[in-house]
Amino acid sequence: MSLVEKGVVASVDLPSVPVAVNVESVRKSFDGRLVLDDVHLRVETGSIVSIIGQSGGGKTTLLRCLNLLERPDSGLIEIGGEVTFSGGRVVCRNLARLRQSVGMVFQRFNLFPHLTAVENVTLAQMKAARTPPQEATARAVRLLRRVGLAHRALAYPEQMSGGEQQRVAIARALALEPRVLLFDEPTSSLDPESTGEVLRVMKELAVTGMTMVIATHELPFAQEVSDWVVFIDGGRIVEEGPPAEVLRRPQQQRTKDYVRTYASPR
Amino acid sequence: MLLALFNVNWSEYAPDLWHALLRTLEYTAASFAGAAVLGLLVALVRLNPFPPLRLLAAAYTELFKNVPLLAIIFLTYFGLPSVGITFSTFQAGAVSLILFYAAYLSEIFRSAITGIQPGQKEAAEALGLGRLATFAHVVFPQALRIALPGTNTMLVDLLKSTSLLVTIAAAEVMTEAQLITSETFRAFEVYAVIAGLYFVLCFSLSQVLLWLERQIRGGVALSPRRRRRLGAARALLDEGTSA
Repeated sequence: MSLVEKGVVASVDLPSVPVAVNVESVRKSFDGRLVLDDVHLRVETGSIVSIIGQSGGGKTTLLRCLNLLERPDSGLIEIGGEVTFSGGRVVCRNLARLRQSVGMVFQRFNLFPHLTAVENVTLAQMKAARTPPQEATARAVRLLRRVGLAHRALAYPEQMSGGEQQRVAIARALALEPRVLLFDEPTSSLDPESTGEVLRVMKELAVTGMTMVIATHELPFAQEVSDWVVFIDGGRIVEEGPPAEVLRRPQQQRTKDYVRTYASPR
Repeated sequence: MLLALFNVNWSEYAPDLWHALLRTLEYTAASFAGAAVLGLLVALVRLNPFPPLRLLAAAYTELFKNVPLLAIIFLTYFGLPSVGITFSTFQAGAVSLILFYAAYLSEIFRSAITGIQPGQKEAAEALGLGRLATFAHVVFPQALRIALPGTNTMLVDLLKSTSLLVTIAAAEVMTEAQLITSETFRAFEVYAVIAGLYFVLCFSLSQVLLWLERQIRGGVALSPRRRRRLGAARALLDEGTSA
């Protein structure tokens, strides 16, 4: 049964909104090991999809395929209705523009250490999107304010806590006004307090209708914000559905085991 | 007693020495600029995915790292004319220094570039920066910070090595020292003064470079353009807090 039939993100009450992300039959292997095996994913504009599952199960690879940081071996990927990958090769003509429309937040933040927070947020605006410096700076300050970090705008990454760095990274991704934001285990390298800060910012984003695909182990969070949850294991989608179903009443044994392990705070 | 050691009439030689000093600085500046550019090129070629080119760059580095600078100077100045390539003294001196120091600098640059976390390039790519922009704004500035201490050591070393150009009468400080000695026969005094001169030059240069390193490590914005942008950001932030 396809995701369309299942009505992915049925909670979004605009059935005609375009599909932000569409993935069909994507396969990817590293050195003969299959890490994505016939994966399908459909994310409608304005919806939030959480991808859960063991580390090494394929979550990160799937996200990285969406902005083509990783190239699948086969399958089809569409972003905002435009085919970016098909028939085993990249068909997107403007890779840079695709990446501006697909923001990414990394597990290890990956802020540019030689630049201040505000410069981290302006760099791609100026050098990739060709936004004039003044406008880029104004937007950066606005975004830093939005993630609660205006007072850290002139600090360098090494002077900031993990939670602060990740919030700057979110502002940096938002600065290009992406169509969809990908989060690759955004809180996995954070302490509980920082995790709280980052999740709060993500919840605020969710409320504004940002389309988000989140790889995470934070099941309570996934349950609260997601419209759809995908459990991926061994490169395959084992189970998916609305969070109340997948997280509360998982059908597959592997999902049950995973949910039991991660549901209780460790 | 000590005063008796100093009886060269230095004021007489001051103008010549001044010119020689400028020449030394010219050799240093031209050779360092050339070596930095060539060293960066060699480093980039060594990091490119095409094996034959990589091998070529590695061969270059190994060759010039394992031949004495003096041999390179003699080869370019005395050797090359016999195969029809003639350089002026300045060209021969600068070319030798460039070839020699580019080999060392390429090693420093290469390790600096490979020392940057792969996540940096990925983040830049994910933000839609092209290859060139990623290199110019993400990889290069970070590599520069890593490479700075080693590069600065090489610059001071290069300044000292210009003294080897005395062997091709390059009109720099050491050559001038030899001239003064031959006129005054006061070898100890002359070479002691010249050694002191090199010390003052190299010591102050390395102190300035250390200061520069500290500034950069401390996150001080050195380029006027960056300062302007940070100033603009600060103004916007102040606006926000007062509003």
